[in-house]
Amino acid sequence: MKIAWKEMKKNKSRFIILGSIVFLVSLLTFIISGLANGLSQDNAALIKDMPNGEFYMDEDADETYNLSKINEDTEDKVLDDYTDAAALSIQMGFVDDADDKQQSVAFVTSTDSDMFENVKDGEIVLDSSLKEKGIEVGDTLTNNQFSDDFTVKGFVDEKKFSHSPVAYINKENYQEMYRTMEMQLLFIPGQDQAQNIDGLQAFSNKDFLDTIPSYSAEQLSLNMIVWFLVVISGMLFGIFFYMMNVQKVGLYGILKAIGVKTSYLFKMMWSQMLLVTIIALLFSVSLSQGFSYVAPEGMPFHLTMGTTGQLTIVFVVIGFIGATLSGIQIKKIQALQAIQQGEV
Amino acid sequence: MTLFSMEDLKKTFINGEVEEQVLNGINLSLEKGEITALVGASGSGKSTLLTIAAGLQSATTGNIIFEGQNMSNMGQEEIRKIRATEFGFVFQSSHLVPFLTVEEQLMLMLDVSGTKMKKREQKKEVMKTLQLVHMEHRKDAYPASLSGGEKQRIAISRAIIHRPKILFADEPTASLDSERSKEVMQLIEELTKTLHITTLMVTHEDEMLAYADRTVTMKDGFIVEGNEKDSSSRELASAY
Repeated sequence: MKIAWKEMKKNKSRFIILGSIVFLVSLLTFIISGLANGLSQDNAALIKDMPNGEFYMDEDADETYNLSKINEDTEDKVLDDYTDAAALSIQMGFVDDADDKQQSVAFVTSTDSDMFENVKDGEIVLDSSLKEKGIEVGDTLTNNQFSDDFTVKGFVDEKKFSHSPVAYINKENYQEMYRTMEMQLLFIPGQDQAQNIDGLQAFSNKDFLDTIPSYSAEQLSLNMIVWFLVVISGMLFGIFFYMMNVQKVGLYGILKAIGVKTSYLFKMMWSQMLLVTIIALLFSVSLSQGFSYVAPEGMPFHLTMGTTGQLTIVFVVIGFIGATLSGIQIKKIQALQAIQQGEV
Repeated sequence: MTLFSMEDLKKTFINGEVEEQVLNGINLSLEKGEITALVGASGSGKSTLLTIAAGLQSATTGNIIFEGQNMSNMGQEEIRKIRATEFGFVFQSSHLVPFLTVEEQLMLMLDVSGTKMKKREQKKEVMKTLQLVHMEHRKDAYPASLSGGEKQRIAISRAIIHRPKILFADEPTASLDSERSKEVMQLIEELTKTLHITTLMVTHEDEMLAYADRTVTMKDGFIVEGNEKDSSSRELASAY
């Protein structure tokens, strides 16, 4: 489509303005999407990183894992029936370091499983974000609900729950701290369909995430912003191409009069839309990926290439729809009107 | 030999409850290689007749026969194909594509007309056509840098590069001064004869009739007079 390129070269400013707007809107979308993913990781990386499967909690717990208590007999039976299954509990709490400085953590304990850290009595494995708080391997940490001390055995990367770093502890230590023998949850990996287990309610990984307080509200708001921006960019495409097409009614009319096909004019518009979008997206993708390296330490920013790729495709599709809708007027243009309008 | 004919052509415009009969049963034949000038007062229907003949709008009733085919029964796509391959257009304004050079304008027309030529052959053909209108030295110019007369010459070269059978010209000299008008009309006459193109032209300038083989006068949607060019007008043409 040489003619499309020639027009872009001759009317650079017009297309640079359109490209700049697409670039800014898509950059903002990528950044907000990165923040949404970052917050999601910060809120529930522990759950999100688990394999696909089903969580089970007490059906009387009102879909609140904190209120769930799984009967020990049921737990034993499930663990016997499903060898990969694990029972786990999560409790928000804190640990004090040697300087009596309190660090908020999410205590996690489980039965023996490859999916969780294997922690011995008196040991604790922490999320690596606590390294930045000055905690090191071998440090001693305390908790006022635990009679003994915890010794830091090691760190794990990106294990967060409810915006707090995860602290893996031994099952017996957990039982002493929270004065309960019952675990809160059961997890059976690799289940396509939930099992019917008496007294338990099943949740897929995604459904379980939604039971975490604030998780769905937070994600819903951010995702809504992302999709609003996507729709806005589609509308911007539509409006811009509509305005450009209005200015070119005369030109299109003359081209139609000399025998140019309407489909040729559409192809011309689509080529311009594609080129503008791809160049704008190349800039915004590079900049948003670069942003993840320069984002402030405390900012939960996590933008994967998968998410970027998906949003890029959505932008191209929405741009195409916007441009095509605005291009319907090309179909309606009468060659005669254009001739009567005078010079193009 | 008749190349193109219009039979009992009628056109009615409906504006609200008012019906306006613009063409009242026009019968007109165009002979191969002839220049036919349509003249008449404003509102006589001459431009409407030209645009209907060129397939740019449809008639209410009547037939348009081109090379034995009835265009009135054709679909939009068939008419577009005829416009692209068999017709050429020159309008009051040059209507050149502002972002294409002279050479590219003409190459676009070759593409549109479906001429199967390689790029190099297309460029040769463009040069040949530009030489016919004496504009080969401006092949790399954009329309904005051309004068009114030059633009109209390029518009004419675009109209004939694909060697159409009929050239439709709607007041081609209306936007030019008398000197440029004369040049453009001489060019149309020369090309019509050299390339054996049949021309239907609308004009309101009496001086331009000197270049026509035949003058058809219209009034209130009727043809009131249709003359072959006589010897006196030929003399006028040579004197002009």
